[in-house]
Amino acid sequence: MVFLPPPHLASASRPAYAEAYANILVAHRRSPLTSASSVIILVAPDVDALCAAKILAELLKQDDVMHRIIPVSGLADLERMKDELVTYAELHTLILLNMGAILDLSSENWFGQFSMKLTVHIIDSNRPQNLANMFAGGENGERFVVWDDGEAENMGEERKAWEALTYEPEPDSDEDSELDDQDEVQSNEDDDPDDGEEFSERGPSGKRRSLGDGDRSQEKRRKLDDSTRLSREQRDAYHELIAKYYGSGSWYGQSASATMYILATVLERVDCDFLWLAILGLTFQYTTARISRDTYDKYHSIYYDEVFRLNPLPPDVAANTTDAITAMSPDDLSVRAAEELRFMLFRHWTLYDAMYHSSYVAGKLGIWKERGRKRLTGLLAKMGFSIPQTQQPYAHMDLDLKHQLRAKLDSIAPEYGLVELTYPSFARCFGYRASPLSAADAVEAVGALLDVAGGIRMEVEVEGARHGGEWFGGGRLWEGGRNGEEKREKRIEVGSRQKDGDDDVDTDVNGEERKERTWWVKNFWAAYDALSDIVPLRDALSLAMSLHRAIIRQGTSIIDKQDIRTMRSHRVVVLSKGPDLALFAHPGVLARLGLWLVDALRDRLPGTKIGGLKGRGKKSLPFVVACLNERTQTYVVVGIMGALDFGDVRRNEFGLAFIEAKQRCNARSRHSTFDASVLEIEQEDLKLFLETLCEVGEGY
Amino acid sequence: MTDTRQFGDLATQLIAESRRSTLTDTLLKYNDNLVRSIIREQRDLEKMTENNQNVTPAMLIYQTTIVRNKRCLLAYHKHRMDRLRDMYWTAGGALPHILSNQDIRSKLSPHEVDFLRQYSTSVMDYRAGFSNELDITASITHPPKDLHVLVHVIRDCGIIQTELGTIDFQKGQRFMVRRADIEHLIVQGYLEEV
Repeated sequence: MVFLPPPHLASASRPAYAEAYANILVAHRRSPLTSASSVIILVAPDVDALCAAKILAELLKQDDVMHRIIPVSGLADLERMKDELVTYAELHTLILLNMGAILDLSSENWFGQFSMKLTVHIIDSNRPQNLANMFAGGENGERFVVWDDGEAENMGEERKAWEALTYEPEPDSDEDSELDDQDEVQSNEDDDPDDGEEFSERGPSGKRRSLGDGDRSQEKRRKLDDSTRLSREQRDAYHELIAKYYGSGSWYGQSASATMYILATVLERVDCDFLWLAILGLTFQYTTARISRDTYDKYHSIYYDEVFRLNPLPPDVAANTTDAITAMSPDDLSVRAAEELRFMLFRHWTLYDAMYHSSYVAGKLGIWKERGRKRLTGLLAKMGFSIPQTQQPYAHMDLDLKHQLRAKLDSIAPEYGLVELTYPSFARCFGYRASPLSAADAVEAVGALLDVAGGIRMEVEVEGARHGGEWFGGGRLWEGGRNGEEKREKRIEVGSRQKDGDDDVDTDVNGEERKERTWWVKNFWAAYDALSDIVPLRDALSLAMSLHRAIIRQGTSIIDKQDIRTMRSHRVVVLSKGPDLALFAHPGVLARLGLWLVDALRDRLPGTKIGGLKGRGKKSLPFVVACLNERTQTYVVVGIMGALDFGDVRRNEFGLAFIEAKQRCNARSRHSTFDASVLEIEQEDLKLFLETLCEVGEGY
Repeated sequence: MTDTRQFGDLATQLIAESRRSTLTDTLLKYNDNLVRSIIREQRDLEKMTENNQNVTPAMLIYQTTIVRNKRCLLAYHKHRMDRLRDMYWTAGGALPHILSNQDIRSKLSPHEVDFLRQYSTSVMDYRAGFSNELDITASITHPPKDLHVLVHVIRDCGIIQTELGTIDFQKGQRFMVRRADIEHLIVQGYLEEV
């Protein structure tokens, strides 16, 4: 398994993205008789992976490569898919988007059994990555290619440690072979190498240096042709290094869509669509607190230049004004840079609602209490917005108020403690079909589609129906996933059954699961299609709004009822009743609720030191949210590690903590998604699990 | 009580049925009973005109009715044949597909099934002559813009053999495939173009 450096670090001897892509094309074209199902793309269900998949599919389509896109929801799904893929003899390229980095893919459990001509490309923003994926070489190893973002350059120490531990020679060996001449590769992450695995003979290369620990002063640096063995201290030090790498929690690297965008840049095939998708991936990472503000700024500046390169503004329109974000012509599909306020979907809601539903404002002002709401209206009044104005949908607000909004916010909001209200972002025009949509709003809409487009009854509000509008009864049911059916209705009556979802209406348990899987897949494709079509995307905004309303309802009720229990250093929330229980049984929605709670309570709760080896962890807000899934009688548990400062992120250690707690208390549980910090656990085991979890946290 | 009826009344009912079929754009069931009663009526009328050689007004009426009944029968059958032929072409010439569909099959009379079969054979013979250059059963409403097409699987169609290998279409996945290979699947409704 090799890792590909990004193009700016590539050289003739180190192939980068473009070469890997060219290899895919070559393999496809070389076997014309079997190319029909030779490239398969597995996509994880998050917005970033969707954007990356779209870019990649478009690139492949332009190159006439026949490919196949398969959505995969979690590790169990991936295993099932793998079992199926084994039977495909013609498969020669497998691309994993936002999944698989932590798995040891060359082992027997995963893709080690596949034929030699299969190449697996791993484009994953999850970190930590499995070191075996990154560094193992050899023929078997060359099959797995990790597309790296430059971080691997900084992992020299981990690399040495891993190599030393895996290739530890037998005591009498005298060999000295290069890394690339390996015939066999063993694949263990951090198990003790003495576990009876096969070894390849290799002497330590001269590159290895001691790690500077005082205990090892007895060991001298070995020369190349000496047969050496790792001393116990050295081995322990390496173990510790690797354990630290894996044990520090999970974080996120470069988004998959950014990787794909870089590929497109290297191939010189970028256009506005790709840029927009890459921006969406980045914004998704930022708004879901996966990357810190600094990282966001770094990537933002790259995209900022790209925007101006690809979308030159006419000279009489100054950039960065609100006027700049209007469509110039009916076919204007360009991307513009804009400042984004931290209010949720504020261009599509009333101003009051947008501020009410944003977690940042909610936290600072204390929206869940009546006093906080008064403060909010007070703030708006101070800024010169009358109450009727703030209750108007944004599009109907007075123009001059809209222009002044930002200036007023900057001057008055700091009094209330709202300081970082804006961040630089982008917006896209859609000609005259729709008003320009900002990246954050688009991410919200797509995320809402992914989570709840179908399978759950969602009421969305009809605009103008508040305060007893034209039609009494302000909501209508969300009709998600139905848009494909109208197209099919027009088809001939021959052989077309109008409702495709009824195929798998079963009554046994498997049927339920299959129905659930069908809904999830439908949501996936609805979100995928919405990425390129403004009409469903705009409709999804109302879905996102109702989702937010539900989250706020639940969040405020939790805080009001003081439902947050503190177990040692963790804050735990357990939802077992409420109107929206079915909604929060989805891990995505539950995670959003957790993030909202973290943001809202950031200033009110003291941070606690948790995690980190030797108790050197940074202060953070560990949150565990659990929700009962009545249908399956299980609890969905999500762990979130909030940072104390807004815009900062912490590595999420809940993945490891969950696994350890699970083992300790033998709870019946499973991980249903790719994120190790999301767990589904039997109802009876929850209490014990939570207690064990908190012990685990303390025990570090 | 005897069934007193106007001459040609049944034929009008048959035509009304054809008209209803056109207006609702569906194929109705072959109305075997009505056709048989019309034929019975024809025979009765013919018996009445057999013996008499003189041209009387009564004879004229009988003759007109006979001719009209015949015309209505022919119109009905032609109408149905046209609909079947259209259905055949929209299905892309996949006769087994049509015939295996139970609700269609139940609406056809045995003669119509035979007609479809013979028609299909004729088309196949005709098509085989130049299938390298042109496939006449492919859809003509949207000329293909691209060699490849992105499709979404609506219903499982299993493993399909194409020129470029086998493809296993599974529900809920998307494929990029050569248009020529799967055109017939799109027409039959297994795949949907994205």
